[in-house]
Amino acid sequence: MVKGGVLIGRRLSTLLIGLSVCFVAGCGKKSEAASNDAGAAARAQVKLALDWVPEPEFGGFYAGREGGAYERRGIRIEIQGGGAGVPVLQMVATGRADFGTVGADELLTARARGADLVALFAVFQTSPQGIMVHAARKLEKLEDAFHSGTLALETGKAYAAYLKKKFPWDGVEVVPYDGGVAHFLTDPSFGQQCYVTSEPLAARKKGADPKVFLIADSGFNPYATVVVTRRELLQKQPELAKQFVLATREGWRAYLDHPEVTNALLAKLNPALDVATLGAAAEAQKPLIENADSKQFGLGSMQQSRWQTLADQLLDLKFLDKPVSVADSFQQL
Amino acid sequence: MTERSPRRAATRELLSAALPPALTFVIVIALWESVVRVFSVPRFLVPPPSDVLTAIWTERAPLSGALLTTAQGAVLGFLLSASLGTTAGLAFSLSRWLERGLYPYALFLQTVPIVAVAPLLVLWFGPGLRAVAVSAFIVSVFPIIANTLAGLRSVDPRLSDLFRLYGAKLGDTVLKLRLPTAIPSMMTGLKVASGLSVIGAIVGEFVAGFSEGNAGLGITVLAAYRQLRTDLLFAAVLLASLLGLSLFALVNVLSALLLRRLRAPG
Repeated sequence: MVKGGVLIGRRLSTLLIGLSVCFVAGCGKKSEAASNDAGAAARAQVKLALDWVPEPEFGGFYAGREGGAYERRGIRIEIQGGGAGVPVLQMVATGRADFGTVGADELLTARARGADLVALFAVFQTSPQGIMVHAARKLEKLEDAFHSGTLALETGKAYAAYLKKKFPWDGVEVVPYDGGVAHFLTDPSFGQQCYVTSEPLAARKKGADPKVFLIADSGFNPYATVVVTRRELLQKQPELAKQFVLATREGWRAYLDHPEVTNALLAKLNPALDVATLGAAAEAQKPLIENADSKQFGLGSMQQSRWQTLADQLLDLKFLDKPVSVADSFQQL
Repeated sequence: MTERSPRRAATRELLSAALPPALTFVIVIALWESVVRVFSVPRFLVPPPSDVLTAIWTERAPLSGALLTTAQGAVLGFLLSASLGTTAGLAFSLSRWLERGLYPYALFLQTVPIVAVAPLLVLWFGPGLRAVAVSAFIVSVFPIIANTLAGLRSVDPRLSDLFRLYGAKLGDTVLKLRLPTAIPSMMTGLKVASGLSVIGAIVGEFVAGFSEGNAGLGITVLAAYRQLRTDLLFAAVLLASLLGLSLFALVNVLSALLLRRLRAPG
């Protein structure tokens, strides 16, 4: 049902993007007024593919769409919610989406496999990836989670490989992560990977008492929910990419300051979460999004040194075959 | 009954089963390699077969461990299916009441989307071999029940009459008439089930397999996908289908042996 629409939409969007770039490039400041006059027809239609279901970790994109941040810049944004295993990198690389959100580690790995994608905006300065266990187990450190019980992880993800390398795993049964908290609720010896903004809140809501260890604290801290696009789009429509980043920053500013309206929308898009849980999640993620760096350089900004640290770690974990140039991997617009 | 030696017959049967797919395999591989090279398709989308072979070689240690784990789950599930499925088919053939009462629910197993219930299997059986084997069982049992039942029902009515005329007991009728008649059909069911059991095991591993130590091919597929290692992904898929093929071949050999025994005089 989507396919036909996507094809037509893409053809149309190519035309519209071309038109709007003409406006922006040709008329400078006037373009905004012009595109407003011309109405929807002159807007660039872009698709943003998310790598998970609509949750506060994407709140800024929805806030930008609802608040008109994209529209004011001549962009009509279509946000496509994802789920476990959605091939966001492949979709963006092959043009089925214009922008997508992925982890910084996934971006570097994909680039090493030949997908020429570029990071433009990093929502999370601190990775929200964590390990959640029952507080009753009285584990004191992250590494204690690898000595007993069951642990649900996404095997093959870089953070899992990092933890495996850094800490001895003995006595823990590792099983696939299924995206939910059902097992966690039924089994007191069960631990799982989580986003600190998501699963712990869901588990708490169901009456569990989880304790969360942030993986970033152990030294592996890739930027998360990173907006990527393909280099081809960046080269052909640099202005569109720039406006998209500016709108995204405005959207995130709005969401950080006033998440309530957007949360009401998210609750409709993702019925598994209620407004109270969404509010708590939005609050919990604030310090991970706004830190010293993003206060100084702007929301979503990225530092080359951090990309380099990540590349070195991935090389060490054999996710990369050879050293890569991180300067090509991201661009500040 | 022909005069040719049964062993040669078995070999010929095996060959005629293995040759056409092998030929198709070679042609497809050659086409695939050239298309990927000529159009320089990005490797994170489709790897050339040569990359897949390289991956099989360089990752042979983890892959063979994964193959063994998946084989355990698939074979255990298949044996469960074969024993329970054949028993159920036999029971249904003997009692219309049983058939009417239970067959619809056996059919339900056929239609149940295994991906949807697999997470429940973990909750019920715990992660690991048991849940994976049950997943393989659920996917593969119905063809065995259906084919056993159809085979047992396909007895020549004149022979049935003959057995009745001579006052044969039910046990004799089943053992000497119905089961021998049903064997070819039952074997068809087992062959279908052999491939399905591997599918069931892989899907089961996606949610229920152990991810460390003895992780199966399903886990390899997931991990390779997450790292965009399409070469390793295809290698795991290839091994999974080879596993299905060998199970299939095994059933073929067993069925040839069984048929030979049944047809031997005395």
